[in-house]
Amino acid sequence: MSWHVPEEDLRAYARGELAAPALWSADAHLGACAACRGVLAEVSDPVALDAGWERLDAELDAPRAGVLESLLVRVGVAGHTARLLAAAPVLRRSWLGAVVVVLLLSVGTGHAPHSGEFPTLFLALAPLLPLAGVALSYGPALDPTYEMAVVAPMHGFRLLMIRTVAVLGVVLVLNGLATLALPEYGLRALAWLLPALALTTTGLALTPRLGPVLAPSLVGGAWVGLLVLAEALRAGPEAPLAPFTVAGQGVAALVAALAAGLLFLFRDRFDLFQGRAV
Amino acid sequence: MTPTVSASGLSLHYGGTRALDDVSLRLTGGVTGLLGPNGAGKTTLLRVLATALPADRGAFTVLGHDPGTARGRQEVRRRLGYLPQTPGFHPDFTAFEFVDYVAILKEMTDRAARHREVRRVLDEVGLADVRGKRIRKLSGGMRQRVALGAALVGDPGFLVLDEPTVGLDPEQRMRFRELIAGAGEGRTVLLSTHQTEDVAMLCHRVLVMAGGRVRFEGTPAELTARAAGRVWSSTERDPGAKAGWRTGTGAFRNVGDPPDGAELLEPTLEDGYLLALDGDAVEVAA
Repeated sequence: MSWHVPEEDLRAYARGELAAPALWSADAHLGACAACRGVLAEVSDPVALDAGWERLDAELDAPRAGVLESLLVRVGVAGHTARLLAAAPVLRRSWLGAVVVVLLLSVGTGHAPHSGEFPTLFLALAPLLPLAGVALSYGPALDPTYEMAVVAPMHGFRLLMIRTVAVLGVVLVLNGLATLALPEYGLRALAWLLPALALTTTGLALTPRLGPVLAPSLVGGAWVGLLVLAEALRAGPEAPLAPFTVAGQGVAALVAALAAGLLFLFRDRFDLFQGRAV
Repeated sequence: MTPTVSASGLSLHYGGTRALDDVSLRLTGGVTGLLGPNGAGKTTLLRVLATALPADRGAFTVLGHDPGTARGRQEVRRRLGYLPQTPGFHPDFTAFEFVDYVAILKEMTDRAARHREVRRVLDEVGLADVRGKRIRKLSGGMRQRVALGAALVGDPGFLVLDEPTVGLDPEQRMRFRELIAGAGEGRTVLLSTHQTEDVAMLCHRVLVMAGGRVRFEGTPAELTARAAGRVWSSTERDPGAKAGWRTGTGAFRNVGDPPDGAELLEPTLEDGYLLALDGDAVEVAA
């Protein structure tokens, strides 16, 4: 190699005072030239040099924040919490893609001719999405790190709430965007919101008793059963299904509040393993 | 010496299954082996001691704290490392990212300090060179080392390892044994295994479990000694033996109560283990 970094530049480099473009030349050259690295080591304070290499090494290892994680940090979420949120299994593309497809299909049927006063299919499916999302983010069957997480000092309920907030945040935003795509229904297209909260909180409240798979499955099944029953009892083809009437919305709000209370009371049960082993 | 773990009368039932039945034990520093066949209750015992499952009856302390209370459980978890039988990973994480994730769960919120700790444990388990590699691209042995690294985050005083050598090839198993031996220096390790070689090579104490009960507690030498005078050779399987198997020489090795004039053999840890599983050898050594 015919060219080497001048010693004066190496001294400035070691002090962190070398400016571009000489800095860029030095960076590129030092990676390939053992002789200049040797000179740099001689002219540098060894403690500061080691610390510098360590900083550089650590920075190279540091996990790269994804789009969601960077966004969360930018809006003020603590870095470690943002990592936990970004690691929630349901925030992967496959899950989000499935949610978007379901919403597009249900919104599509809302635009179909003779779809009535209410976008019924959309209102029926939208509350199930956060319920399923929360269920898929928790429990030994679905969270690969569940067993390690449950014995970690971070309280299981706190981790559950972090993930629930992440799922609700994403799914409610997607549901909200789908609602905007149904402007002809006005506020009636928002009738999914309270049932969504009621189903999600009820599913979580029943989890300590029934387990993380059975509880949301039963709640989802009960919702479908309720809709079938409401359809059978509907006054006429233009009448809303009972859960989407004012009274039905009131009941959903009440169920959500009661379930949230129960969930809080049972919070310590999320600190223990929800499964069995011999 | 103050025990790291002291348990008495631990019982746990699942429906009609008695997973733990009146288990009492004391664990002190170094590696203690937990031997037993499938369904013996080893994983349940580890989960109870690791504070993941509550026992129906009985009491225990870990590092002086009572995991029966929320505060005690929290204190135990701050000093606990746990490697489950089938550790799960977020497959898109790198080794560094996974251990970093577990470090966050262990309440390490300062980024720089956490990353230093992640680097330290990955160095300790010999994965410094692959720390940036995605977990799905690592071999089974390396993944197991990532999980051990995660368990070692925060320098735990009590390390619980549930069959960490299962599924590893002989070379990886040897490498892993070296790591466990290193991890046992200055802390208490409870190692569940089916392999008597793991116990012979690593453990200063051994527990044998079957049917949810502790059948033996003592040193590996004491377990081996229980088979003294109870192992013999024969050309055919001896129907009076509690267990017998054909060896590489073609002769049968029998354990149990030997007939008169039997050709007695030097006992091994495996012989002692087989006898401890039998109903005649349930008493616990001093």
